[in-house]
Amino acid sequence: MSTAVSSDAAAARPPDRTGTAAAGAHGGRRSRRARTTRRQQRTAAALLIGPFGILMALVFLVPLVYAIVLSLFTVDHHGLGFGNGHTVFTGLRSYAAVLTDPTFASGFGVIGLFLVIEVPVLVIVSLGLALLLDSGMVRLRRTAQLFLFLPHAVPGIIAALIWFYLYTPGVSPVVRALSGTGLSVDFLGIHLVLPSLVNVVLWNGLGYNMVIFYAALQAIPREVIEASVLDGASAWRTALRVKIPMVRATVVLVVMFAVIAALQLYTEPTLFNQTDALVSSRYTPNMYIYDAAFDRQNYGLSSAAAVILLVVSCVLSYAVTRWSNRGEDRK
Amino acid sequence: MLGVLGAALALLLTACGGAADSVRAHGPVHITFWSALRGSQQVVDEFNRTHSDVKVDFEQIPSGASGGYTKLSNAARAGNAPDVATIEYPELPGYVIDGVARDLDPLIPAGTKEKFQPAALDLTSFGGHTYSLPLDIEPMVFYYRKDLFAKYHLTVPTTWAGFRATAEQLRKAAPKARLASFFPNQMGEIAGLSWQAGAQWFGTAHDTWQLSMDDAPTRRVAGYWQRLLDRDLVRVEGQSSQQWTAGIQSGDTVGYIDGAWAAGALMKSDPPGKGRWAVAPLPQWDPAHPADGTEGGSTFTVTKDSRHPRQAMEFILWQTTDPDALKARLSSGTSSAFPAVPALVPVAQHAMDDSYFGGQDIYAQFQRSAATVRPQWMWGPRMLATLSQVQTGLARAAAGSGTIESALRAGQAATLPDLTSVGLSVDSH
Repeated sequence: MSTAVSSDAAAARPPDRTGTAAAGAHGGRRSRRARTTRRQQRTAAALLIGPFGILMALVFLVPLVYAIVLSLFTVDHHGLGFGNGHTVFTGLRSYAAVLTDPTFASGFGVIGLFLVIEVPVLVIVSLGLALLLDSGMVRLRRTAQLFLFLPHAVPGIIAALIWFYLYTPGVSPVVRALSGTGLSVDFLGIHLVLPSLVNVVLWNGLGYNMVIFYAALQAIPREVIEASVLDGASAWRTALRVKIPMVRATVVLVVMFAVIAALQLYTEPTLFNQTDALVSSRYTPNMYIYDAAFDRQNYGLSSAAAVILLVVSCVLSYAVTRWSNRGEDRK
Repeated sequence: MLGVLGAALALLLTACGGAADSVRAHGPVHITFWSALRGSQQVVDEFNRTHSDVKVDFEQIPSGASGGYTKLSNAARAGNAPDVATIEYPELPGYVIDGVARDLDPLIPAGTKEKFQPAALDLTSFGGHTYSLPLDIEPMVFYYRKDLFAKYHLTVPTTWAGFRATAEQLRKAAPKARLASFFPNQMGEIAGLSWQAGAQWFGTAHDTWQLSMDDAPTRRVAGYWQRLLDRDLVRVEGQSSQQWTAGIQSGDTVGYIDGAWAAGALMKSDPPGKGRWAVAPLPQWDPAHPADGTEGGSTFTVTKDSRHPRQAMEFILWQTTDPDALKARLSSGTSSAFPAVPALVPVAQHAMDDSYFGGQDIYAQFQRSAATVRPQWMWGPRMLATLSQVQTGLARAAAGSGTIESALRAGQAATLPDLTSVGLSVDSH
């Protein structure tokens, strides 16, 4: 795509005139210089955007189109299906199957519940940490920041493994310590398994989001904060009335990221699924997609579910953006 | 993220297609064999030692959904499945529908099918064609601690009503002890118990799949076990889990229900229990008409991709019907698989050290149970997925959320889209 643009630009410019144009940069007429600059800008833009465009096409558009194509074709059978399958165009049949599958819908239920628990904790805790760092009340600010960010550097699967170890009765020192005090807690039991999952994800993401909030807080003009301090506002009041409203856009961004990340939830529950039967192999939509492709050998079903998930993600992102913009307008 | 998934899918599809088959032009014909069964290496070694025209290249694959079956399906999709693959009964219909398992009728020599127990062969035949040959058939039996039964003055229950009464009696006599375990992670158990009661989850009538995991016999079994769970008369724990093994060893769990193969596993789980265990038939709903279900068992098929189907069949026939093959398999350690070929039962019986069961001829019991395995049972087209959904429901039921019956209904509901999306005609009720 980008190569086409840049070669077009080159073709539109005969070689001899390029020489003149280059010379004109020193002493040519003004309008030609402006035109050349615009051309150069366009070429530069194409060159800079090009690699992104190619990557975008390769890793997003091509697979997307491929997924849509796959979702419209299925190995089709008739009757009992013994030995009579052929891959044919089956239209929207896979979509109908996914949409009538109770396990696919329940995956979204899990995501919804997950978000209800996760988002408030994520926003409050990471924003709180960022405010603390920003207020300068924390000594060794850089070290603290690094330590808070560190969990994010641990790959999700490793984090899930460590936490799973800490949750598992019989091996976990935490469970043993709790039962020593007379508390028997089953982190992988029916009531706690989702909060336990949220905890793993939060542990991984709090530091990262704290950095985002911190950056936003640092961008607040210092005069504004000085003004509020001069007006006699306490640090608490400054945080609540001045800082937080000014990073509202960042809060929306973090919520949106959390929603998208939750829809993609896969690594942690997949690990849980290995030994905790309460976390089914279709616990989240992403797990459903994997299960359909590799356990049920149904690529049509899997692709259809993937396309539906993409649409849901887009709609949700759009909804969150719209909702936040409306808030801005009101202000 | 979605794009990445799609790309991974595409990559996987093309990558699998690249592997080449290695067939030699001269010398013995090489066939490949994938199995998760223990003792397969010994069987293959013995085959290669005694055969010069065919050589088997064996690959041990992981058992279960996450390992071997996925690998087999992907290889078949890419056109390089092994010549011979081990498939358990519940998974076979899916492989037949997907075209992985070959119609073996043209390959099976005349008079061979008669060697197999009809109930086993029934499970490997669809629409009048045989798609695999069974190695073993595993009737369900009740394993119990003879010494503890004597200690608590219990008699071995012969009916399900008696089973519940015995469970109550035991709990009164020893509040910590339970008569048996309910395995929420053992997907086949509730199926086998329903099978025994006369349920038929899957059937084929009018060229249509009949789907009913909530029929009257199933409801009866599900309700019965639900009451046992609700009244805390059985232990709820994963099969072969640490807790289960601990309970078995300490005598807190005095019995359990499982397939014939589990006798061998028990010897490994509880070595000090030697001489204390015994095997009884599964309790009955109607003692006048004894019936049994099965739990476990494997079959061998020749895949569509095989370039040497004749040689593959030769290997399968040797594996399933030759005494030397069975001896080689049993030489790998303690096994109590019940052969699907009745003529081989004495071989297995001879290989089994009966001192663990205090001299009881457990194969004689297996044989009686195998004779009453109820015919007409059929597994469904996406059984692995169905059972895994049931298992999640059972885990929830065990945790007090939902019931065994609702777990089965959920399994059925989660199966329907799988079948309709590939165009099978389904009648769900």
